[in-house]
Amino acid sequence: MTTLSIRSNHFVLHPSGGVYWKETQTWLLADVHLGKVAHFRKNGIAVPREAEGSFYQKMEGLLSLFPVQRILFLGDLFHSDQNNEWYLFEAWVKHQPFALVLITGNHDVIPKWKFEDLGLEVVPQVEEDSFLFHHFPDQETTAFVFCGHVHPGVKLAGVGKQQLKLPCFYQGPTQMILPAFGAFTGLHLLKPRQEDTVFVTTGKKVIEIKKF
Amino acid sequence: MKKVETWFRSQNWKAQPFQKQCWKAYAEGKSGMLHAPTGSGKTYALWGGVVEEMLQSAKPIKGLHALWITPLRALGVEIQKSTQEMLRAFAPELEVGLRTADTPQSQRTKMLKSPPFGLVSTPESVHVLLTQKEHPRYFSQLKVVVVDEWHELLGSKRGVQVELALAYLRALQPNLKVWGISATLGNKELAREILLRGTKKFSVVEAKIQKKIRVHSLLPKTMERFPWRGHLGIHLLPQVLQIIQKNKSTLVFTNTRSQCEIWYHQLLDAAPELAGSIAMHHGSIDKKIRLWVEESLRKEELKVVVCTSSLDLGVDFSPVENCIQVGSPKGVGRFIQRAGRSGHHPKAESSIYFLPTHAMELIESVALQNGIQQQQIEDRIPYLNSYDVLIQFLMTLAVGSGFDPVKLYPIITSSFCYQILDQSHWQWILNFLIRGSQSLQQYDEYKKLIRTETGLLKVANKGIALRHRLSMGTIVSGNDLKIRYQKGGYLGSIEEWFISKLNPGDTFAFSGKNLELIRIQKMEVIVKKSKVKQAKIPAWMGGRMSFSAHLSDLLKKALFEQQSESTPEFRSLLPVFEQQKKESLIPKPEELLIERFETKEGFHTVFYPFEGYAIHEAMASLMAYRISLLSPISFSMSFNDYGFELLSDQAFSQEDFLDHDLFTPKQLFEDLVKSINVSEMARRRFRDIAVISGLVFQGYPNKPIQSKHLQSGSQLFFEVFKEYEPDNLLYQQAIEETFDHGMERGRMQLVFEHLAQKKVVWKNCSQPTPFSFPLITDRIRAKLSSETEEDRIKKMYLQLEKSIQ
Repeated sequence: MTTLSIRSNHFVLHPSGGVYWKETQTWLLADVHLGKVAHFRKNGIAVPREAEGSFYQKMEGLLSLFPVQRILFLGDLFHSDQNNEWYLFEAWVKHQPFALVLITGNHDVIPKWKFEDLGLEVVPQVEEDSFLFHHFPDQETTAFVFCGHVHPGVKLAGVGKQQLKLPCFYQGPTQMILPAFGAFTGLHLLKPRQEDTVFVTTGKKVIEIKKF
Repeated sequence: MKKVETWFRSQNWKAQPFQKQCWKAYAEGKSGMLHAPTGSGKTYALWGGVVEEMLQSAKPIKGLHALWITPLRALGVEIQKSTQEMLRAFAPELEVGLRTADTPQSQRTKMLKSPPFGLVSTPESVHVLLTQKEHPRYFSQLKVVVVDEWHELLGSKRGVQVELALAYLRALQPNLKVWGISATLGNKELAREILLRGTKKFSVVEAKIQKKIRVHSLLPKTMERFPWRGHLGIHLLPQVLQIIQKNKSTLVFTNTRSQCEIWYHQLLDAAPELAGSIAMHHGSIDKKIRLWVEESLRKEELKVVVCTSSLDLGVDFSPVENCIQVGSPKGVGRFIQRAGRSGHHPKAESSIYFLPTHAMELIESVALQNGIQQQQIEDRIPYLNSYDVLIQFLMTLAVGSGFDPVKLYPIITSSFCYQILDQSHWQWILNFLIRGSQSLQQYDEYKKLIRTETGLLKVANKGIALRHRLSMGTIVSGNDLKIRYQKGGYLGSIEEWFISKLNPGDTFAFSGKNLELIRIQKMEVIVKKSKVKQAKIPAWMGGRMSFSAHLSDLLKKALFEQQSESTPEFRSLLPVFEQQKKESLIPKPEELLIERFETKEGFHTVFYPFEGYAIHEAMASLMAYRISLLSPISFSMSFNDYGFELLSDQAFSQEDFLDHDLFTPKQLFEDLVKSINVSEMARRRFRDIAVISGLVFQGYPNKPIQSKHLQSGSQLFFEVFKEYEPDNLLYQQAIEETFDHGMERGRMQLVFEHLAQKKVVWKNCSQPTPFSFPLITDRIRAKLSSETEEDRIKKMYLQLEKSIQ
């Protein structure tokens, strides 16, 4: 795990793709895309159902690491319309003692009140201290932005013409884009600029990549 | 056969022996196989029998009698014309219809309501017919299915589609006759068995027509400037122009679409007077333009057409006098096929020029000429247990009238491809389609097929049926966008990854024009003509072809045999051979050459087994794997038809390598499985499988946004199966196919047994050798590593943005 200090707050980058904000004991999770597997299956495309269950397993691992007061979902919590995955999520939510906040993303088409009935807070964005939490990157603000949406990944090259594609935390001067937390989500490859910092995650380790 | 023969005479034609043999066999109610080259009158050899049968029929003729399956739509047009012409002479009221993907909806509907006497179609379109509920009635009068150019279909998944359609039609019509027409193949017996299956009454007819083919190599004036690595062959442009000017019309065959675009521009730049009489033909160009090119060739309005394999097949372009092959044709069969595009009259001589793009290809030219002399064409390896095609076929039936799995099973297993499909795998596939998995799971809403009260399996809803109809077929294209002028008019299609690298205002070359990108809108690329001279040439990610086993044998012979040295090709190569001998050596038949040298990229170790691209690809992974067991190391590999290269940042030692007997055929497949797990081969195979089996949906035409929630790449599926469902048959199929077709399992074993006998010659060189040059400059690479991912990453850096050249 890698800990960063941003505007004198501390953020832990976890190999799962989540970010833990120490000062407020908050987990930030982007692009979970729950129900994506179910959505595909409902339409006759046989993605293994086991891929969906990985969210709950991953959460179990995360929640035991640090004290947790809140989880901020940075959008695209659910992939599409409501399907049976919702009931699993509902059952899980009932057992969580901390606050759950959903910042709406472009995939979140399930009506707001359904989340609110479950006890989630649903908002377009969250602004705290000098931080802004939003689904989309490139916000016009003086705050430092944490966001998702992109499913960032990078292509690495090495001696011997080797290549690897990996998901990453993508940090610019005023924002941090989180990798997708969901299992069946895919990557969007970014081409880093000089002022950006990239932390790839292998699922086991977070590694900062040196610049060429 | 009196009437047909009389008609032949009235046309001033003389029926050839093979035509008479076919007519006789057909009249006896036999199925069969006809081996005949294109342009020999093979269509009438079979159609004559069909017409005679019709004339003998006591009953009034109604409904579809003859189904003619051809691999190419363009070919279908020709066949429809000639069969219709003959039919009209006897029964003016009967028709031959054409049903391909190009046929307008109105005509399809008409043909469905009142079926024509004969129907010319493609494998895909035949399957589309089976999605019609009323197809049993439609085929109720069917007497014969003719499969044309069977050698082209055999050994591909389209061939499997034909097998399935035949098995199904035979079940509908037990007395159905099946005839195949094929060029001469290495494995003729097998080709017949796959097509005719259990049919006892059959004839095999050989048209003993030897086509004369003249091959000339285009030799450079001096070898000094001759490139060592594969390039475009533009240095020989002046000679090409001479040939074009000397002949009425010439076809220039290139191996890739981008090479095709470049050659077109180069020719036009060098000889602007060609404007108006030069055209281009490749698979991405809009079909209207392609049809125009074909028609103009026929009318002798074009002097030169630059094309790819899109013009390989049968269409009769009688005026073509000459062909030029740019770069390796990769197989004797394809070379003969292309040469056959010229001198298309039955007795005319074919003439083809071979244009080597780099020095090594000159050896190939000699090999090809020897191959033609011996008239040997490659074997085609048929597919076995293609679960993806079967799944698609079951969906096709489920969209139509539905199917009863108990009754269908024996039909499916009567085909060659699925003869060993056992009950447990059949059940797996049914579960996959009905439940989306092998176990019942709570909360699951999987929907694809449902069982009706009568026990038939049908699609669950209209959405699934529609998506299936839109994605039928086994030819998988990339993520293509259509190119359209702002004012309207389609030019063709282009791969998304290329366009995504361009900005509005950029210029690229397509279909022989320089186009300016205006914007991308709804899966369409909007362009206008540009006056800019320099344009980017799109690259298409076509599959790379490999040398056939046959050609690599010929090549080895050409290289080793002394007599080759007297050929003009070898004389031209002398300077290259000299340089190779200076740095390294030219291996003898009993030797295996390995070269090692260092450049700023790392340590290059280059092997030369001369076994063809496909074998080298697998062999490279295997050797990399075996070496990596000695100590942790990462390799990047490149391969071509001559050899392969292992590139690493550390040098593994020569002694270690030689001491450990790494070429042993022992444990070959165990080691291959392990090395393939970390290689890209299976993943690439899986891409097609995912599309064919309907896992990856490529989107509704004109409605890309709505389907977005259901789109996902095959890569993602591959990862998910690998992690969560490794016993998935589609995932397994990718691995099996990699073995059987990617690296030709059977051949691999033989190759290693031979290698184990050879003497390894290891040469440490001070710089890259001529033989190694094409390999080390190759940009398409695979990787294998025994280091941990974390260790590898630490050595890596971010790839900087590269612009397209």
